[in-house]
Amino acid sequence: MNFFAFILKSAFFDFSRNKGRTFLTSLGILIGVLSVVLLTAFGLGLRAYIEKQFENLGSNLVRVVPGQVLSGGGFSNASSAFMSIKFEEDDVRNLERIRELKMTVPVYSRTVTATSLNEKKSATLYASSEGIFIALNLENEYGKFFTASDVEKRSKVVVIGPKLADNLFLSRRKAIGESIKIEGQKYTVIGVVKSIGGGFGGPDFDTFVYMPYRTAYTINTDKTFMAIILQAKTEEDIPTIKRKVEQILLKSYEKEDFSIIEQEELLSAINSIFSIINTVLVAIAAISLLVGGIGIMNIMYVTVTERIREIGIRRALGARRSDILWQFLTQSVILSLIGGAAGLLLSAIIVLFISRYFPAYIDLQSVILALGVSSGIGIIFGVFPAKKAADLSPIEAIRYE
Amino acid sequence: MSSLIQLNHISKRYEIDNNLIFTALKDINITLNKGEFASLVGPSGSGKSTLMHIIGLLDKQSEGDVIIDGRNINQMTDNSLSTLRNEFVGFVFQQFNLITKLTVLENVLLPTVYARKKIAYNVQKRGFEILKRFGISDKANSYPNKISGGQQQRVAIARSLIMEPKLILADEPTGNLDTKSGEEIMKLLKQLNKEEDITVLIVTHEEDIAAQTKRKIHIVDGELKT
Repeated sequence: MNFFAFILKSAFFDFSRNKGRTFLTSLGILIGVLSVVLLTAFGLGLRAYIEKQFENLGSNLVRVVPGQVLSGGGFSNASSAFMSIKFEEDDVRNLERIRELKMTVPVYSRTVTATSLNEKKSATLYASSEGIFIALNLENEYGKFFTASDVEKRSKVVVIGPKLADNLFLSRRKAIGESIKIEGQKYTVIGVVKSIGGGFGGPDFDTFVYMPYRTAYTINTDKTFMAIILQAKTEEDIPTIKRKVEQILLKSYEKEDFSIIEQEELLSAINSIFSIINTVLVAIAAISLLVGGIGIMNIMYVTVTERIREIGIRRALGARRSDILWQFLTQSVILSLIGGAAGLLLSAIIVLFISRYFPAYIDLQSVILALGVSSGIGIIFGVFPAKKAADLSPIEAIRYE
Repeated sequence: MSSLIQLNHISKRYEIDNNLIFTALKDINITLNKGEFASLVGPSGSGKSTLMHIIGLLDKQSEGDVIIDGRNINQMTDNSLSTLRNEFVGFVFQQFNLITKLTVLENVLLPTVYARKKIAYNVQKRGFEILKRFGISDKANSYPNKISGGQQQRVAIARSLIMEPKLILADEPTGNLDTKSGEEIMKLLKQLNKEEDITVLIVTHEEDIAAQTKRKIHIVDGELKT
């Protein structure tokens, strides 16, 4: 048997003789690793979900919104958005003249109550042009979308989300041709879009009501818009478009009154916020790892005290200080790794179960991190007890009763 | 005969508390030659165990020089002392001091785990041979708490031999044994001294044990008595 085999044997002998103690000590690390890995898994899942939502949107989009939305990589003070400007139809007309644009889509949005003959539901009104269906990458399940002429003629038509159709009319197919009452006005449902999901605290896109923006002037009496979505003909045109949009809008507004955001910028801004939130959460969870580490240190001190005589015997037989140090350090690392591996396994099971309802996954980085951190904790919190063991005087240790 | 261990003006003092100093050993001068079979005799509290611990490199003297095989240990590092304990000395204790979670054979082999020199022989085989010679090879895979006191002390002697030491230090080796087992252990130590030319120093308070050795070193109140 070599040195390591002897060390392992004595470590596992200790664990098997003190099963309860070993279990409880490892449990501390298990809980720590579990919380860190689970939070990371949720963070990763949520980010992937958001990115997927963005992918659902059309390509080469640029958004013009009021206020300074993006500054320094994140969202700036949100209160500025309340104080800020709203766009008018003239702005839309002016922007439409930019040659590089494929389309210009104004958006007015607010929460409304939608009523059918028997049901009354809360919905999000999205008043826009026919281009909104392309911008949001929507497909119709039944019926049709409204057209440019519907917008011009102020046709009293709407296209609704599938969930809203289910809730108001029992069936999506039957919804076509039915009347829906919004803010006292009657509209005819001409289309139902395919489900694109949503929820999880964000907007539920399946309960949206899409209406020609000019039709909506009875509701949007100010005739203003919260955003203008622009689609470039090609990706290369985007910088030119941004420049031209700025030139046009500066004629009517101050520079800080509006922002021109690319899809990518928005995504990276959201991602950066998510990383911050996730880092803070994981850091809080890491406190439990620290507590687990203190548990290990505590038990290692007890173990050293229990084995003082054995340490003395080993020293008398020729063990160096470093041999004793390694023996106890190995034991604390094993103890910590047992907890870490068990925590990882348990998180994998939980994630496997939860991923049916919530997008969460564990990546290789989390696995390496969990095992690395738990062995690190074993070393950091094991080194003091191990040092104590190594520094015992051989004669005092061997005489210890 | 050349000297194996030389103690020159060794004294040992402990500070108890409130600056109270207890002198355990006073100006001890001993030379132990190769192949000697000696005993260190004295009543309990005479300082004989302290002296044995100093010779065995487990404890350090307050003053004086310990010369082992021509080397002064005052100039040695903790690691070199560990190596010397491993290779030069074999300990046999009154309490046997076996590690209970290791088997008999593993206990015998434990010193080889800490060996820094290359061991030319097969340690497993050698360990088993020693156990066979001591009549306990059938207990090789037993645990120490499953065998008798006499057998445990034989395991301890087997362990002290595995590194082929030049010196065996036996601290009251028969103290925890019945008369018959005690006699057998003494016979074994005599045999090792005679047949393998290992220097043996037995620490005891029993005159009849000391009488079996060729040289008796008496110690009383920390001083040698001639």
